[in-house]
Amino acid sequence: MRKRNKLVSLFLACTLPASMLFTGCGSSQNNSGKIEIELVQYKQEAVDVFKQLEEEFNRTHDNIHLTIDSPNDATTIMKTRFIREDYPDILGIGGDINYSYFIDAGILADVSDYPGLTDINQGYRDILEGLEFVPTDGTYGVPYVANAAGILYNREMFKEHNWEIPETWEELIALCEQIKSEGILPFYFGFKDTWTCLAPWNSLAVDLAPPDVCQQVNAGNTVFTNEYREVAEKMQQLVSYGEDGPFAYGYNDACTAFANGESAMFAIGSYAVPQIKSVNPDMDIDSFVTPGSSDPNGNTLNSGVDLQFCVTSSCVDEGKKEAAYEVLNFLLADENVQMYLDDQSAVPCKSGDFTLASNLDGMTQYIADGKMADYQDHYYPSEMAVDAQIQTFLIEGDVDAFLTKFDSDWLRYNRDIIQMVKDYNKEHGNQ
Amino acid sequence: MNVKVKERYNWPVTILLILGLITVIFPLYMTIVIAFKQPSEMTNSIAGILSLPKSWSLSNFSEAMRVTDFWRSLRNSLLITGVTVVLSILLHSMVGYAIGRNKAKKKWYNLAYLYIVSGMFVPFAILMMPLVKQTAQWGIANIIGVILCYLVFYMPMNLMLYSGYLVNIPVALEEAARVDGATTWTTYWKIIFPIMSPMHATVAVITALSVWNDVMTPLVIMSGSGLNTLPLAQMSFQTQFGTNYNLAFASYLLALLPLLIFYIICQKQILNGVVNGAVK
Amino acid sequence: MKYSNDRQRTFMLMTIPVVLLFFAFNTLPLIKGFIYSFTNFKGYGTYDWVGFRNYIDLFQDARVGKSYLFTLKMAVLATIVTNVVSLILALGLNSKIRFKSALRGMYFIPNILGALVVGYIFNYFFTYILPSLFNTTSILASTTWAWVGIVVVCAWQAIAMNTIIYISGLSTVPEEVYEAGSIDGATGWSKFKNLTFPLIIPFFSINMVLSGKNFLMVFDQIMALTKGGPAQSTESISFLIYNNGMAGGQFGFQSANAVVFFIVIVAFSVAQLRFTSSKEEQL
Repeated sequence: MRKRNKLVSLFLACTLPASMLFTGCGSSQNNSGKIEIELVQYKQEAVDVFKQLEEEFNRTHDNIHLTIDSPNDATTIMKTRFIREDYPDILGIGGDINYSYFIDAGILADVSDYPGLTDINQGYRDILEGLEFVPTDGTYGVPYVANAAGILYNREMFKEHNWEIPETWEELIALCEQIKSEGILPFYFGFKDTWTCLAPWNSLAVDLAPPDVCQQVNAGNTVFTNEYREVAEKMQQLVSYGEDGPFAYGYNDACTAFANGESAMFAIGSYAVPQIKSVNPDMDIDSFVTPGSSDPNGNTLNSGVDLQFCVTSSCVDEGKKEAAYEVLNFLLADENVQMYLDDQSAVPCKSGDFTLASNLDGMTQYIADGKMADYQDHYYPSEMAVDAQIQTFLIEGDVDAFLTKFDSDWLRYNRDIIQMVKDYNKEHGNQ
Repeated sequence: MNVKVKERYNWPVTILLILGLITVIFPLYMTIVIAFKQPSEMTNSIAGILSLPKSWSLSNFSEAMRVTDFWRSLRNSLLITGVTVVLSILLHSMVGYAIGRNKAKKKWYNLAYLYIVSGMFVPFAILMMPLVKQTAQWGIANIIGVILCYLVFYMPMNLMLYSGYLVNIPVALEEAARVDGATTWTTYWKIIFPIMSPMHATVAVITALSVWNDVMTPLVIMSGSGLNTLPLAQMSFQTQFGTNYNLAFASYLLALLPLLIFYIICQKQILNGVVNGAVK
Repeated sequence: MKYSNDRQRTFMLMTIPVVLLFFAFNTLPLIKGFIYSFTNFKGYGTYDWVGFRNYIDLFQDARVGKSYLFTLKMAVLATIVTNVVSLILALGLNSKIRFKSALRGMYFIPNILGALVVGYIFNYFFTYILPSLFNTTSILASTTWAWVGIVVVCAWQAIAMNTIIYISGLSTVPEEVYEAGSIDGATGWSKFKNLTFPLIIPFFSINMVLSGKNFLMVFDQIMALTKGGPAQSTESISFLIYNNGMAGGQFGFQSANAVVFFIVIVAFSVAQLRFTSSKEEQL
């Protein structure tokens, strides 16, 4: 069997160095009686803050060893790890439809017994509750920070021209006309990237449509054709104040243009500020709530949970859950929250006296008053590609066709969820 | 015949080919210029993209190397690519030979050929999740699993290339070796394998390029192992709400260098192979 | 007799392990994916059997139909462009030119660059450079022309590899063929058509299948250039399968899509292989 040996040795010659090199790396840490807690979080841009937090935690805790992983494309990584049934102990994810899916799949543990929850702004806890497909008894996430979307504006430019912050839709349109007449572009949109279409859409929708419109449609109480018509029409009107051919330029182009003073405003969330400042570090940016309504008191801040911590259901035994709560206590300590806010210019979900980034000045009152509602796209299934549908609508300009398609697609993409809601309502006998 | 040796070159074609190089050099120029600029130099205009950077500082490159943990990622990339290429050449040429010599006459081999080649058209997305589960169950959710996946993914194409090349290699060569008493196994490795070296070079180049630039397979198979390849590490330039193209381009250029060196070596191989072929 | 036994056994030993490996990492997961196509699996967690619902939906889904049309027209045009240009390029690079190896090296560069970086560069090119040269808007913003932009980028990158394969094909054409040809007075086009091309048909068929397959499965270029836009006009089949199946929660449905897609291109390429191999046998 000489030839087989040859083949085998050939194989070994090639694969052995590989396996030898790599067995040393991926192995688990030395387990000296410490409880290992692994946190995987999806905000890759905050990797430096989390590295610092991890070091600080391990320095101050003898009984628990914390590993924080901030991988690229973390959502895919989390999903592939779930497929392997290799669950991290704590997940740092956004309050979006993935969170709803994870609850539905039974991956997350109930954390309603976590004492730190009482310090969290009730508004954000409600937002998370609203993301559950069917109401549950438990609480599955601890909101950490939020982001807010509306309209960013160039504060210096506004001061220079004595422009006023608009509080109603009519004022906003008047302002746009004014800016235009002075030879400046009111808005830069960057709609080549479809997701940027969602930013103005969401911030108008929280003003003009009921916050639970998606649940209402799922329950069969209304249709989007009724609820979203005004949103669609106002969005269309807004686009006429943007750059020529907004579908040629992407998000990055829009950030660059706004940073270089090519437009006075940019309808996007606070999350865009770091990218804008990378182009123009000295820019003075502030923001205001998108005034979709004609009633100054009828407007609502568009704010959602940007990062929350969820404990997975595999992390319940042998004191692990306590250890996970200890980690949460540490992350939620005021000075650590402040450190995160300073780095990421985010909005805290914890109540307390925090210093916020200056670009949020125009929104703080709404946050303090709790006048806010979640991004509507957090309820949209990503495969329905609502962002692309909005882009299509803005290119083609047919409101009726858009809304009709929205309704029919919604029923198809949410078929299973709607069935679940129906079963639940039948069982619980409401409506 | 007083024509000088020089004029044996076909100059019109040479000049046309040199002019055509603009289509290659222009995008490359853009990559290099952007790689050296700072984000604040990127205005939304032709000038912002084509103008030379204010200073030719290497800071983007050193920052890119820091962010991607360059040397460690490079080592992983080199290892995966190197092992895959070597194994591909050995295994795929072998199966290409066995199938290529028989597929015209024997139904079984023809079937095996069509079976493997049709695997080329399986969209990776449908294999992805089952593969993730399977590699985890078999305990190879690591670099070995990734290499085995690659060996299978590139098998259809390489099989086609090898069995296509085999058509031009006469069976008479093997028969001559048989007369000398050599077994088929030794004939293959001693005679056929060396003759196929131009195809080895082609296969090496194709396989190496695809493996080197691939993100998805290591992303899903090795996720959570803490190991990065260069393309995986480069994903960190593109976060949810921002992309640093300057750093990204600097890092792409860095990742390109090993391939360029590899190609220059392989190109010699291809040319040598041509000479060998002419000698035959 | 002894020799032919050894020969057959060796061939078997060479083939079987590799076929088994192929089965384990290609066919086995494919079968699992096929099973998932009858569920509403999201990729993780629990799922229900839904019978043929995914397949019924598939044939009624306008978005899927549109993606097939886009992918097909894009792949056909890109395959033609790529093969014509790279054949011309290979003939040029194989003729007696100055700086031969330097030129060959330079023309290969597009293939070394990853698809993403090529996409980003051309994004700048289409968005800023082309419009200001011709005073138009970006073709990537036009629902009628964006697909041509994708074709250009795919072809630009694929030409390099196809050229290499054609060059290695041309190098197998023996000098004597040309010499015999020039005695007969064959020049230019007729020399190419009657002498060179028939000899490189195997390479032509490899290139056709290779580029056709790559273009049918186009994904990276779309992610980097248009992300399926504008107005969902450049959503390729692979884009839908990945984006909605893996990133979205439609794994079951998109598995059904992938199964149908697989059957379509296998049928297509088996026909193509049959055709070219019958051509080869004529020689």
